[in-house]
Amino acid sequence: MVGAAISSITSSQITMIKGGGGGAAAAFPSKSMELRWIRRNSRRKIPNPNPSSREFGSLNSTPPPLMMPIYISADPSHINLQELSELYTSCNHSCHRFPKVDSNTGIVEEALDLNKLRIALSHSCVIVSVFCKPQHVKVTNITKQIQNQEQQKQMKRGFVGDLMESVAPINPSNGQLIGFGRAVSDLGLTASIYDVMVAPPLQGMGIGTIIVKRAVRILTTRGIYDIAALCSTKERFFFKACGFRDDILGSTTMMYGRTVSNTCFEGNELVTAAGRKLLLAPPLRVPPFPSSKTTKHQG
Amino acid sequence: MLTRNVAAPSSLCPILPYDWQFQVSDQLLFPHNLNPNLNRCCSTRKIKGFRLMANFWESIRSGILKNNAIQIVEPASTLQEEEDPVPEEFVLVEKSHPDGEVQQIIFSSGGDVDVYELQALCDKVGWPRRPLSKLATALQNSYMVAALHLVRKLPDQEGNEEKKLIGMARATSDHAFNATIWDVLVDPSYQGQGLGKAMVEKMIRTLLQRDIGNITLFADSKVVEFYQNLGFEPDPEGIKGMFWYPRY
Repeated sequence: MVGAAISSITSSQITMIKGGGGGAAAAFPSKSMELRWIRRNSRRKIPNPNPSSREFGSLNSTPPPLMMPIYISADPSHINLQELSELYTSCNHSCHRFPKVDSNTGIVEEALDLNKLRIALSHSCVIVSVFCKPQHVKVTNITKQIQNQEQQKQMKRGFVGDLMESVAPINPSNGQLIGFGRAVSDLGLTASIYDVMVAPPLQGMGIGTIIVKRAVRILTTRGIYDIAALCSTKERFFFKACGFRDDILGSTTMMYGRTVSNTCFEGNELVTAAGRKLLLAPPLRVPPFPSSKTTKHQG
Repeated sequence: MLTRNVAAPSSLCPILPYDWQFQVSDQLLFPHNLNPNLNRCCSTRKIKGFRLMANFWESIRSGILKNNAIQIVEPASTLQEEEDPVPEEFVLVEKSHPDGEVQQIIFSSGGDVDVYELQALCDKVGWPRRPLSKLATALQNSYMVAALHLVRKLPDQEGNEEKKLIGMARATSDHAFNATIWDVLVDPSYQGQGLGKAMVEKMIRTLLQRDIGNITLFADSKVVEFYQNLGFEPDPEGIKGMFWYPRY
């Protein structure tokens, strides 16, 4: 029989986010992934990868096939934290809005805090991940390359083997993570979309739009229509194409930016590092009167 | 597809383990009321007394749950090395009247906001009405809900006090990197005293203490200056917020 190809999602995948406890598997129905075919615009030139940037795939990567299947999943248990952090790196994306960036190459210099990422994922109410077949994208990760080679050797070669391989559906363990997006919400009124990214060799094929539209669909099904997305100037076109507009009420987006450099720092205040910014907290105001009645409680 | 909507949150929403915890607690005969975070809409005064008890019950409950086969609860608590913001409460302003009446404005971040009071406050400020159930859900699932209450202690009635909601601010967050502040409002008759400023500053402090560095908000044109004075920058480095618009 053809090995490897079709296997069901194991409960060990779910523990990735939930942090342990095999019993959780029974509670969450494993969702199968949705299959979509995407087409590459053959007339479009593939841009030359920057030799010094950490690009997904080798320098001489072949362009993706003209039509390829991708698998979209909204199940948070399908995310492998390690793979996700590699995707962040290859997309040159940071969780911080203003990351430390090498001024020459523009590459994000910060290491991703996996623990924080795990916490962020567990509190994101919508997580969309997109996988593709490993053969459609070259992988830089050495262990994954070896794993793929092993799988290739085990599989029956020949017509039947190839046929089986091409029609076999993907599951998170043998698919390659190529796209991601998440949204944070209060589940009642508002939501914000963060960290939408697609692996560079597969950009421009509509995958990002699929991710955003899927996240929006999940949110609107739950009755949340106030969906915001923070975007830099480059991302603005992308979100506009997904159906986002400037706020109809004309509100201004503001971010807390009081830093050590732009305010006088007295040395005993609370400072938090967020990417390349050292944020300074507002001064602590002592309440004018200590409360005479014991309205304070033990935490 | 009503059932679908109900099922979806339970599988996607990470808050489920927290809810599950209380379903389990029902089986163990621990009443819901003991946890202050659940009963936002109920009378808030009862909850105050229970806060001290909550920790005690929490420790017993976790001890019993360790022997329980259902391990779902434990992962949720060990996963978060930081706790959700510890509810704080302190007096911002205190005024004594000649007739013995004491008025206090109390800041609390425990989220004990009555939805009906909040709706009335929103009407006072002139905001459009939003469905109460959605408001309640939003408050429950916000990372931090700060509220200002005016407490009037009348001299003749010992121990009896009037409590009125005069301000609120809430923030949603992914608990790690990003937070957005929504719905900052102060009763018009109490505006101009620095109450809104105090609320927002306290929120920022709490968020920064938790290492959440990305604090955003969407300000009406009239209040952009208010937030600028608090340290917020409009469109920093070209970052704008965009909103989704359905095309019918």
